[in-house]
Formats: sequence, C-alpha cells, structure tokens
Amino acid sequence: MAGRRWTRWLVAIPMVALALATVYPLVFTTNVAVKTRREYVLDRFSLADSLRWANVVEAWTSVGMSRYFVNSLIVVTCSVALLLLFGSMAGFSLARLRFRGSSVLFLGILAALFIPFQVIMVPLARIMADAGLVDTYPGLILAYVAQFLPFTVFLMTSYYSTVPPEIVDAARIDGNTVYGVYWRIMLPIGRPALLSVGVLNALFCWNDVLISLLMMPSAENRTLMVGVTSLRGQYSDDIPVFASGVLIAAIPVLVVYLFLQRQIADGVTAGATKG
Amino acid sequence: MVAERNEVEAVAGTTARRPGRPATRRNRRGSRAERLAPFVLLAPAVLIIVVLRLWPLLLGVNFSFTGDGDRNGVPVGFDNYLTLFGDPLFRTALRNVGLLVLLLPVAVAIPGLLATFIYLRVPGHRVYRGVYFFPAVLSPVIVGAIFTLLLAYDGPLNTLLGGVGLGPVDWLGDPDVAIFAVVGVHVWATFGMALVVFLAGFAALDPSLLDAAKVDGASLPQTIRHVIVPALTRTIQFVFVTTMIGMLTSMFGLLFVMTGGGPEGSTYLPEYYIWVQQGQFNQPALASAAATALFLIMLVVGLAQIAVLRRAGRED
Repeated sequence: MAGRRWTRWLVAIPMVALALATVYPLVFTTNVAVKTRREYVLDRFSLADSLRWANVVEAWTSVGMSRYFVNSLIVVTCSVALLLLFGSMAGFSLARLRFRGSSVLFLGILAALFIPFQVIMVPLARIMADAGLVDTYPGLILAYVAQFLPFTVFLMTSYYSTVPPEIVDAARIDGNTVYGVYWRIMLPIGRPALLSVGVLNALFCWNDVLISLLMMPSAENRTLMVGVTSLRGQYSDDIPVFASGVLIAAIPVLVVYLFLQRQIADGVTAGATKG
Repeated sequence: MVAERNEVEAVAGTTARRPGRPATRRNRRGSRAERLAPFVLLAPAVLIIVVLRLWPLLLGVNFSFTGDGDRNGVPVGFDNYLTLFGDPLFRTALRNVGLLVLLLPVAVAIPGLLATFIYLRVPGHRVYRGVYFFPAVLSPVIVGAIFTLLLAYDGPLNTLLGGVGLGPVDWLGDPDVAIFAVVGVHVWATFGMALVVFLAGFAALDPSLLDAAKVDGASLPQTIRHVIVPALTRTIQFVFVTTMIGMLTSMFGLLFVMTGGGPEGSTYLPEYYIWVQQGQFNQPALASAAATALFLIMLVVGLAQIAVLRRAGRED
C-alpha cells in the first residue's frame, strides 16, 4: 500500500512539470509584453519592473490590431449564427423527420466531414472569385460556414436523436407546423448542444489563419490571426510590442476557455462517443 | 431539464393514444406544404456542402489534370503529378509525412498515459485536465508566435540549456532539427485534445474491471496492457485517426509563423506546399495535384490505421 502511494507521487512529478510547461509559455509572453524593449534585451526572464501597458496600447492602435479585432468579431459572429441556424435545421430534419433519402443525405454530409480544407482550397478560391466574393465579409463567412457545417450538422443530428420522438408528435398534434416544432420546441431543447457547438465553432473561426489568408487578401480586411502573422515581420526588433499583439489575440480565447471549458470539451468528445 | 422532458413525454403518451383528428381542409392543405418541410429545413446545409465542399473536390481532381500559366485549362494528363514527384520540396513534404506517421504512436501514447494517471487519481488529478487542455484552444498562430520567441537562437530555451552546460541548439534554423521542433510544438499544443477524448472514454469504463485487476495484484503496466487498452479500443482508434488528420491538416499556422517551410525547405508538409503553389507561385493546377495527393494519403493512412487497429483489437 505504501509502495503504491510512493509510485503515485513519483508519477505526479512529471505531470506537474508538464503542467508548468503548459502554462509557462503564456506567462513568459505576458511578462515580455509588459516589459520595455531594453528590459527584454538585457534579461529575458526577469519580471517586469511594473505593469506597463504602453506596448499593448501601441499594438492595439498603431499596428491596426483594433481593426483586425473588429473584422474577426464580425466574421466570427455571423459565421457562428449561420452555422447554428443551418446546423440545427438540418439536424432536426435528419434526426426527427421521416422522409426518403435521409440516410443518404446524412452519409453525404458525414463524408464532407472528412474533406480537409487544403484539399479543396484551390477550386474553392476560384469559385469564390467567380462569384465576386473574395475580399468580402460574406465570402469569408460563407467559407467558414461551409468548412464547419458538416461537423455542426453531425453533432446536432446526434443530439436531436436523443430527444424522444413523442415530443415532436405531441407538438404536431397540438397544431404546430413542422416549422413551428423547429422554432418553438427543437431550438430551445437544443440549447446545450447549440452552446457547445457554437463555442467550438467560434474558436475554430477565430483561430483560423489559412481560410482567412485565402479569402481576404487585402490588408485592411485581415482577421486578427492574419494580423498577428504580419506583426512578426513588422516588429521583429521590438519583441515586447509583438508579444503584446499575440496577447491581445489570445485573451478573448482564454476568457472563453475559463467560462466554457466544459462545453468545449463536450464538443470535442461528442464525435468520439457518438461516432 | 429532465423533469421538463418527462412532462412532455407524459403529455405525448396521452395524446398519442387519442384517435386521429378528422382531417380538416386547413390541415390537409398544411400537410401538402409540410411534406416538403424536411427538405426545406435541410436545403441550406445541403446546398452549401454540395456547392462549396463536394463539388470543389471533383473540380480539384479535374484541375490537377490541366495545365498552369500558358497551358491554363488545357488537358495535360499526368504532367502535374510528374512535376510534383520530381520537385524536391514535395518529396521533402512526403518524407515529413512519413516522419509524422512514425511519431504518431508517441503523440497518442502521451495523452493516453496522462489520462490513465488522471483516471487512477494521481495527486492533483482534478487540476491537470483543465491545465493540459488549455493550449488546445489557442490558435496555431498564437502558439507559433510564442514559440518563435521561446525557441529563438538567443531565446529562453537555449539560455536555460546553457545554464546546465548544454550547447545552444538552432531549433528553427537547423534543417535536421526544425521539423522536430515544429512537431514538438504541435504535440504540446494538441495533446490536451486527445487527453479529453481519452478521459471521456475512461468515464464510460466499467470500474469493476480495474478493481478486479487490483485484487489480482496486477501491476500498472499489466493493468494498462490487459485491461485498459482492450476496453478503450474504440477511443484509441478515434484518437489515432483524429491525431493523424490533425498532423496532416492543422499544422499550416505553425509552419507559416515558425519556419515558412524552411530552413532549406526542410519543414514542408503537403498542406504547406499546396498553399505556396496556390498563393505564392500562382500554380493552381500543380497545387490541385498536390491536394489530390494529400487526399489520397489521408485516405490510405486512415484506412490502414483502422485495419491495423481492428486486427489489434481482435487479438485481445
């Protein structure tokens, strides 16, 4: 028994070390962000003398991070709203309405889940260019919706499959149309799944760089992550300002993580337990 | 929530037994429009997926057999594929895919072991999940940016190594080292994702199996080999496939920020090659050939994994 206990503590040592290695890079970056350039050059590790927000302010204003931030916010909000709307509509239809061809359609959507963006990137760019959607908000939003819709439909379908069919029947007998059932019953019932899928989609869209690079070539339309990549070239000799920009881009995600960690994990594991 | 659901169910139970209402005119007209409802609800999703995901896949395969530049739109047979496999950069990209496949078991074993320890309640087991999972929500761009600072030649990691007398390593500048540095960062950033999936698998595990192993006096490695691995076959399978997909399709951000494919093209992966040919050199047909090759690689690797794991699962 004592031996067991001893091994447990032995295992805990690398685990604690790993936990520190997980957190440290962000702590380091935060510390760098509030240092002066001189402080950073002299000593990378020393704690900053005081919390100076001058770097963060500079990154926010003069580099244009504020503009990129707003771009990202608009695109992510619209994309997630559309994903949840279309995903829940399709999920309800596939899970709880009986019609011919539903299983074929579900399989088709499932197949689309396994097409990585890189594989369809070139023709998609051409389709978007032909439609005049490159370098526009609707173009990027549509690209995000297309990218994450199969996943959203899949999760909403498996969630709605757990809703007892009697609920739908009862609502129909009470005089609701199918659309009424969707709007008044299924949307409210779907709230936990919508929250989980919504947060996950928001993270995917917020964190993306490839789709955004492809769809938004001009500088003023950059999203935040593309903005961070451009920051690197501009501020290669002023690391504290660079670190500040990185921090600005990371903070919203960290806040979301603190409050919605469980929902994010639920979304990630749903594919494993239900697939 | 549960109470609410039961209530609705109870109502449904009573109403369902009631004989059907007489079909009024309004009802019949409604039912005609409503027969289309399932399709109307599905229409936006199906339309978007077909036009912007399935159709481009076919279009891309088709592109890959046409030419670039002057030969734009002209059928060229397998020319692009010949160019592709003659290109040292693409060959490096393929070699790196091979490397990723070799490293895959490590990338799966680390979160698997950690999840096992957490499940067996090592001291502090409540904290680890939240801490380990957090880099997984950060963008590869953020992670890459942070690690360019940490791994710089005059950066903190080398300072730390210097402190214990180890020479500085040019993490991102040495062609033999850079790919390992990038993959290492990728694993650092994503192992939490697999960990959470493993923990979900453990949550569904029958605890009496472990109690039985304990009573029989099984050691930890024995327990893992004979109890945990067989019980979690499906979870392990899922993690293998998703980790592989992640390695082949979500390292673009890291490569873009950390190495730009360098030094000497040593950190190229197919996804990066596609981007460079499309975005920098404006060679969409060649990029499409690379994309088709990537899709085939993923298909083969995915199916092979499932086959191997299924056989391994049967042996136990």
